[in-house]
Amino acid sequence: MMNEVSSSTGQEAAPPDGLRGRRLLVVEDEYMIAMELVRTLEEQGAEVFGPAGSVEDALGLLEEGLPPLDAAVLDINLRDERVYPVAEALAARGVPFVFATGYDSAAIPAPYSSAPRCEKPVDRAQLARALARIWSR
Amino acid sequence: MSQGLNLPVKPQPAPQDELFEHLVESSTDFAIYTTAHDGTATSWNIGAERLFGYLATDIIGSSADVIFTEEDQAAGEPRTEREGAARHGRAANERWHRRRDGSRFWASGSLVPLRNPEDGFVKIVRDRTEVYRANAALRANEERFRLLATSIPQLVFRTRPDGHRTWGSPQWIDFTGLTLEESVGLGWLDAIHPEDRLATQEAWEEARERGEYYVEHRIRRGAEGEYRWHQTRARPVDPGRDGAGDWVGTMTDIHDLRGLQDRQGVLLAELQHRTRNLLAVVQSIASQTIRKSPSLTAFRNEFEGRLQVLSRVQGILARSDHKDIDLRTLLDAELTAHGDGALETGRITVEGPPVVLPANSAQAIALAVHELATNAVKHGALAQDSGRLAVRWDFAADETRPGVLLEWNESGVAMPEDASPRRRGYGTELIERALPYQLRAKTRLEFRPDGVRCTILVPVRAREAESP
Repeated sequence: MMNEVSSSTGQEAAPPDGLRGRRLLVVEDEYMIAMELVRTLEEQGAEVFGPAGSVEDALGLLEEGLPPLDAAVLDINLRDERVYPVAEALAARGVPFVFATGYDSAAIPAPYSSAPRCEKPVDRAQLARALARIWSR
Repeated sequence: MSQGLNLPVKPQPAPQDELFEHLVESSTDFAIYTTAHDGTATSWNIGAERLFGYLATDIIGSSADVIFTEEDQAAGEPRTEREGAARHGRAANERWHRRRDGSRFWASGSLVPLRNPEDGFVKIVRDRTEVYRANAALRANEERFRLLATSIPQLVFRTRPDGHRTWGSPQWIDFTGLTLEESVGLGWLDAIHPEDRLATQEAWEEARERGEYYVEHRIRRGAEGEYRWHQTRARPVDPGRDGAGDWVGTMTDIHDLRGLQDRQGVLLAELQHRTRNLLAVVQSIASQTIRKSPSLTAFRNEFEGRLQVLSRVQGILARSDHKDIDLRTLLDAELTAHGDGALETGRITVEGPPVVLPANSAQAIALAVHELATNAVKHGALAQDSGRLAVRWDFAADETRPGVLLEWNESGVAMPEDASPRRRGYGTELIERALPYQLRAKTRLEFRPDGVRCTILVPVRAREAESP
């Protein structure tokens, strides 16, 4: 359904293909927000996997064996579950991640409180910058 | 000293004593007088006149014992004092004295026999009332402090400015189980949580600069007991002493308060999460509505309608304290908003048993119902007089889990030929994609010749399916 309406109005000024060739996993339980994230990332050239709306679905995708991921964008609260098991699984695979969440860093437990965090509603330029930062480390 | 006090019994002074005579006579702060061995006044200086109110001319030749209080006179104190002075060479005491007008004052006195005891005694008296009152006030203050320190719920302590304790109140001893001996010096640190000890001691360095000690730390109840958070404050007793004197402090149990603060912090974090999430939903609805709207007017109508759904859902969630929500309440809110009285006329029927849904499914279901109702008002059962809408639900289960099946049935509608493509947009995506994604719902949306039919099977937890 998204495909038939993907005509971009072009008023959002982020690098058009700053994420070209990047493989990203999106974990977000709210469908509308997930679609928006996917669209934003695809518009910037990324290949998006997911979105996964639960810890179970996200872990399932990782188990299935996705092509090597460059990063993941994670919502923290997934229908009253926390995304941390997914973060752990990603870390075990050496995949960096960015949180896209409504939580302040103070509400995020160590060791995840130091992970890059984009506040909802997510600004596409901010998200692109956060991703660029984790890749430049 | 006694040799210089060789005062004559008779008023005529010997020449060699003239200087001393003047000194005694002009001394106003000290009452100095001499008596015969039986207490009869034989000389009386100006200080004595001022202090006792008797002029020398009044009292010389009479008994000087009248300066004693009536009780002391009755108890024979003047005589006892003279005997003591004769025996030991001096009798000193502090006691109440009496003025001529009957008023009393506290004074220190010293009675010394003259060189020849037969000549009698010299007595020097100094008014000490001010000092006595100050001491009494100090004693009263100390008593008040002791009373306060031992009766308030706080644990009270006295300490050197470096944290070395000199005293702990009985409450401290009761709470920690540490005796006073165990607590003094730095012994009290034993009751402080090991993780808090460094901060507890470092706070003393800061305290000496600020003139006030403040720290929040955990204190152990009993030898093996739980640690409870306390707020400890201390200030110098006498700030004028440049922090060198003792400090007094209190330790207040703030454990429950901190618990409340922690819970409040969690609630605040949740509220922030919900608010930002809601804003993100609004943002995504706006952006998707923009893409599907042919004009700004169309966008405004659609977007406002969807914002109102979010607003109604927030109202219902707030009333249920973000716990389970009643399906009928949710449906009624949407149908009332769109039905334009159709609920009352019977064109819409709403039936189903009491069902509660998890709070986090409310928004998606309400948005779906809103899209169905909007379509019905524009093209379907609520747009045509012949149209009917039946909304029913009941408990149902798919193969794996209990659920609630919600049916939306329009009938008697002459559907426009091109109705289905026109409404294939946001609402369709919501029902066919968003509900399955978000709620694991199974949905089916049909544009039939006599109206729209939609079924939504929402899984619920077992407890909700057992509702009466």
